[in-house]
Amino acid sequence: MRQVIKNARIWGVTGLAEKADLYFREGVIEGMGLGGEVDRVWDAKGALLAPAFIDLQTHLCEPGFEVREGLESGLKAAVAGGFGTVVMMPDTDPILDDPAQVAQIQAKASALGFAKLCPAGALSRGMQGEQLSDMWALREAGVVMVTDGTKAVKDGHLFRRACEYAAEVGLLVQGGSLDASLCQGGVMHEGRVSERLGLPGQPAIAERLALFRDAEIARQTGARVHFGPITTEESLLLALWLRERGAPISIATTPHHLLLSDESMASFDPRYKVSPPLRPPADVKALRKALTDGLFDCLSTDHQPWTLAEKELDLLQAPSGIGGLETAWAVLYTSLVVPRLMELDVLLRAWTQGPAKVMGWPTPKLEEGSPATMVLLDLDQARPVEEKQLASKARLSPWEGQMLCGWPVATFVEGRCSFLREENGLSREGFLGH
Amino acid sequence: MMEAVQIRHRHLLDLEDWSASEIESLWRTTDAMMEVMQRKVKKVPSLQGFTVATLFFENSTRTRLSFERAAKVQSAEVLNFAAGGSSLSKGESLKDTLRTIDAMQADLYIVRHVAAGTPYQLSRWTDASIVNAGDGRRAHPTQALLDGYTFRRCFEGFDGFRGKRLTIVGDVMHSRVARSNISLWTKLGAEVVLCGPRTLLPAELEQYSGVRRCFRLEEAIEGAHAVMALRMQRERMQGGLFPSLAEYQARYQVTTKMMERAHPHAIVMHPGPMNRDVEIEGVLADSERSVIEEQVAHGVPVRMAVLYSLLVGRGR
Repeated sequence: MRQVIKNARIWGVTGLAEKADLYFREGVIEGMGLGGEVDRVWDAKGALLAPAFIDLQTHLCEPGFEVREGLESGLKAAVAGGFGTVVMMPDTDPILDDPAQVAQIQAKASALGFAKLCPAGALSRGMQGEQLSDMWALREAGVVMVTDGTKAVKDGHLFRRACEYAAEVGLLVQGGSLDASLCQGGVMHEGRVSERLGLPGQPAIAERLALFRDAEIARQTGARVHFGPITTEESLLLALWLRERGAPISIATTPHHLLLSDESMASFDPRYKVSPPLRPPADVKALRKALTDGLFDCLSTDHQPWTLAEKELDLLQAPSGIGGLETAWAVLYTSLVVPRLMELDVLLRAWTQGPAKVMGWPTPKLEEGSPATMVLLDLDQARPVEEKQLASKARLSPWEGQMLCGWPVATFVEGRCSFLREENGLSREGFLGH
Repeated sequence: MMEAVQIRHRHLLDLEDWSASEIESLWRTTDAMMEVMQRKVKKVPSLQGFTVATLFFENSTRTRLSFERAAKVQSAEVLNFAAGGSSLSKGESLKDTLRTIDAMQADLYIVRHVAAGTPYQLSRWTDASIVNAGDGRRAHPTQALLDGYTFRRCFEGFDGFRGKRLTIVGDVMHSRVARSNISLWTKLGAEVVLCGPRTLLPAELEQYSGVRRCFRLEEAIEGAHAVMALRMQRERMQGGLFPSLAEYQARYQVTTKMMERAHPHAIVMHPGPMNRDVEIEGVLADSERSVIEEQVAHGVPVRMAVLYSLLVGRGR
């Protein structure tokens, strides 16, 4: 099938002032302004066309916790947020450490036909931190990364062996960014605010120490190690220092760590309980500057769904994490690009070329021969975040009710339109699976 | 029967947004309640027709009894809900628990919970008033109100809080009593000195103005007008917060001898339950300086005044 997207401002090609028509056939981009017969015409009405986003840290909860999220709801949420590819974390039940199970999940995801799913496998069997998982077989089944989660593997020796092994297999390892033994039941960042709120805190050094150990192991073993959310200025500086000294590491942070501080906890609303915890305003400021300066390799959502009942507990019991696939782009665009705190290009790269580079994937581009995995972004029209309208089952957002712009209006995955927000008076959202 | 107080609050979640004059006004109502408690028949109709529910997610006998007494003396209906973590094991969310109880139409909830902030969360989900009877390590406002009231009544030659010094000794880190007292005493112009092992006195405590830390008991007590010993829990040894009770006693036990350094009229307080001869010397607890029994006795009229002010005093 041959299709064309007309009247699009095409990122990296036309500049923001001009519009062009982009042709694609059977999932592959043909080129600009080619003309000729097409089977389907999409009118972008001046929206910005960019490569679809890539998320390297998504929790989809299937199998085992379908009440929180599932492949269908989670992958729908992904395309609604403009993501064409997501790396799914292995913390399901059973844990993703079995090649057969990996194949099964991938088959189900591709039959659904929303965002492309790339599973991360467990680094150790059952994520127990005792015995390595079958990394070769996992890689052959389609796993793109191994991780035991963002809490550092307890046994440094095992992590070292895992890195040596993964380096040979050619798998990226996600390292730990929290030393659990230092967290001691803390539910937020330890500091002035936690003291005032009477909530047990986690010291910031819990992040720095975990990072230090795992990055040094990366340096020694030569394994490529990626760090999920880096959330303090000090750990950011440490990561940069280690990278300068040859540690083959990459770092990311999340929209919530870039926009919210530990002061949010003063509302005693468990939606702000995340891991790593929200940090003081000075750290938030430093993270933003680092992103602007291109010091982060990429952004990730750390989309972590919980049911409302699970989140509506007290702050000690409520689990850490918040959903974010659908709002990730729009909230950063609205908060940082619109008020000119950040260049549009920088933010787009952090969600496209950045994560692709971390994974060692081809650079996403809108040119001939590239996959037609693209997102159309309406940079002008503002629309509020409505939790109840979210495609994700995790209908809780720190940005509930806020007017955001930049929303994705259509997401194409390998030429197939997987999400379309129709604005012709009906404002109906459509998900177009297989 | 009593003067109407101008307290505009619907809830008592903590003392942060209570002004010094509102606290003074509440204590004047407490004086009237003291008079009720001295009568032969301790019953007035001031809260007749109101229903008060105690919602204790964390076990406590004395605080609950004190509130229950405060409500019943004023002829309110009292419902007791002892959750004690049971709803959680049934998988019920906090919101659902409250909804269930809300269906019983209480006018005011008295809430105790192991997690800080829970009374705030609950106040968003109900139209009833909420009184915080202790949330985690954050706040226990009625305890601070009764401690301050006790100082006001029992300190010989009391002439206000300004220029006075309260020394709190012990596990300040985990203590909601300490945090609420810091809030109350500094608001009224007093200085608060915190004393204990460094592990139990986080540096962030010094963000409150009028508060300083001191790691030596003899210095901390020097010239103090009131000394409060906090309960020392054995469990803290496991967390590496202090090595042994013997070492704690040797350095931080409040004793008769140590009190010689304090102001000549200084009083000794303890929020209970007390570990005799651990954080406080037994003889001292029974001495003339001790106002520990008065604290318990004042708990009822202070809580009577709180219930009355939130349910009746407001909106007149």
